[in-house]
Amino acid sequence: MRLDGRTVGTRHEERVIPTGTTAHLEPVRVEVRGLTKDFGPVRAVDDLTFTVEPASVTGFLGPNGAGKTTTMRMVLGLERPDSGTATFNGATYASLAAPVRTVGAVLETAFHPARSGRNHLRVYCRAAGLPVSRADDVLVQVGLADAGGRRAGGYSLGMRQRLALATALLGDPSVLVLDEPANGLDPEGIQWLRGFIRHLAHDQGRTVLVSSHLLSEMEHTADRVVIVGAGRLVREGSIAELRSGAQGEGAVLVRSPETTRLAEVLGAAGLGVRPGGDGLVTVTGSTPADVGARAFQAGIELHELRAESSGLEELYFRLTAGQEQYAASTTDTTTTGTTTQGAAR
Amino acid sequence: MTALVRAEWTKLFTTRVWIGLLLGACVMVAGFAVLFTSFAGDAQSGLPGVGTEAYEELILATAANVTVLFLILGIIGMTQEYRHRTATPTFLTTPRRGRVVIAKLVGYALAAVPFALAVLAVNYLVVLVYAGAKGAAPSLTGDNLRILASSGLALVIYAVIGVGLGALLRNQVGAIVGGLVYLFVVEPIIRSIPATAPAYKWLPGGGLEAMTATFQGPDLLEPWQGAVLLLGYGLVAALLGTLLAVRRDVA
Repeated sequence: MRLDGRTVGTRHEERVIPTGTTAHLEPVRVEVRGLTKDFGPVRAVDDLTFTVEPASVTGFLGPNGAGKTTTMRMVLGLERPDSGTATFNGATYASLAAPVRTVGAVLETAFHPARSGRNHLRVYCRAAGLPVSRADDVLVQVGLADAGGRRAGGYSLGMRQRLALATALLGDPSVLVLDEPANGLDPEGIQWLRGFIRHLAHDQGRTVLVSSHLLSEMEHTADRVVIVGAGRLVREGSIAELRSGAQGEGAVLVRSPETTRLAEVLGAAGLGVRPGGDGLVTVTGSTPADVGARAFQAGIELHELRAESSGLEELYFRLTAGQEQYAASTTDTTTTGTTTQGAAR
Repeated sequence: MTALVRAEWTKLFTTRVWIGLLLGACVMVAGFAVLFTSFAGDAQSGLPGVGTEAYEELILATAANVTVLFLILGIIGMTQEYRHRTATPTFLTTPRRGRVVIAKLVGYALAAVPFALAVLAVNYLVVLVYAGAKGAAPSLTGDNLRILASSGLALVIYAVIGVGLGALLRNQVGAIVGGLVYLFVVEPIIRSIPATAPAYKWLPGGGLEAMTATFQGPDLLEPWQGAVLLLGYGLVAALLGTLLAVRRDVA
């Protein structure tokens, strides 16, 4: 991906246009079983097993270099695993009768810079035997309708991601495999993408696997998460399961004009209390409801009461901490979050 | 397969590469035709005079001098997939990669036909006007027509070789530079050294010369054998490329 600064000022945002009826979509389950891939002496993906369910968003999480991209490319038949399989309702990608009608993928944004976005899409319409009018349909879907006639080389980073997403949607596939699709999107674009991904899964029943190295990106989008580190499965489960596992990790922030008395009350209840400046108190081992109830009982005035975080972020860091260093020193050449090619290859 | 060939044509005609190469080929063939005709019959140049059979066969084979541009057309057609990373969506759409290579071979061979006809038309028109002005325009009959057609066929086959070479090497700059160095440095050396000269007729340049040469030159194959040999090089390169390079993981 090129960051050549030739961004375009016009905005193509915030339009989720339903694709109409989706009754034709066949629910497809993606099963990854024992996937393993070595790059020289480095094991990029190590005996990885997980399942992606239809009509839900599965977040594929892990630090850069954890093997997410490599796994996705193996799932899509672009790289050959050393062992293990990845199947769509039992069939490998290469054996699918009409791959783009079953699976759509966003990997690195790939297009000829001199070709217009619309013509880029038409190429794959022709190759897949789809009507070329699909190109215009998907341009509208991703909010690029006005930019379809321009050279893709002049697109901003965010528009490139949208074009990649449009390419994935061409065949109206049951499964979407999205590798870091939020890269390069501005906050508004990220907001749009989250809604779009949920819409594709929950309203249209598609199977969505979306990777990210940021848990915060997934927390409000994904129903389930698969966390990998150094090519191995670290944790698999729903966000709710993960959250319950992280219970007690979070802290509660309270602001009050009576911090001393508040600290006494909460301390007496056996909670950890760390007074901060400006009337702020950090309480650990509790919940906002619990802290609020105790303050109310003691008649203490509160000005602010909130959970510092869900605790998920800390859990994620702890789960993947060791692997990140390992990855950074051996397999990974990309350390920032601005490229889509972060995974080991 | 028809769909894949049409996809290749959409790729080809939605960038401007083909315009540049076709114009370049037309300008070059016109330039050579003018050059050869202006020195025709000149004792120092050694070129036969306008109106002679030797001149007419030489001047109607001028297209053989621009085969390199058709080679580059084929090379770019294949290697742009890797250069611009479109190999990923291409192979996602068509997981059986050999089919992509076949579609490119067929697509570029067919697309090269009208391109070659355009080059031949320019060649003949320039000769018609210039040689006509110098006394005798060649007729399009017999050996003249055969030579002209052979040159056009050579252009088409070189586009096929380009696709094959691109599949084998994957690197666009490497394939183009390698192709140029081979055609303009390596082969002329092989052709001129007595020890290696006998091998020349089996090389791509020898095949081309067999198809189009009219000068008294080195030992060569029959024209049709030359065409088969050239096509063989293109297809073998494409087959090896498919087996060795295209099936490799896309970086």
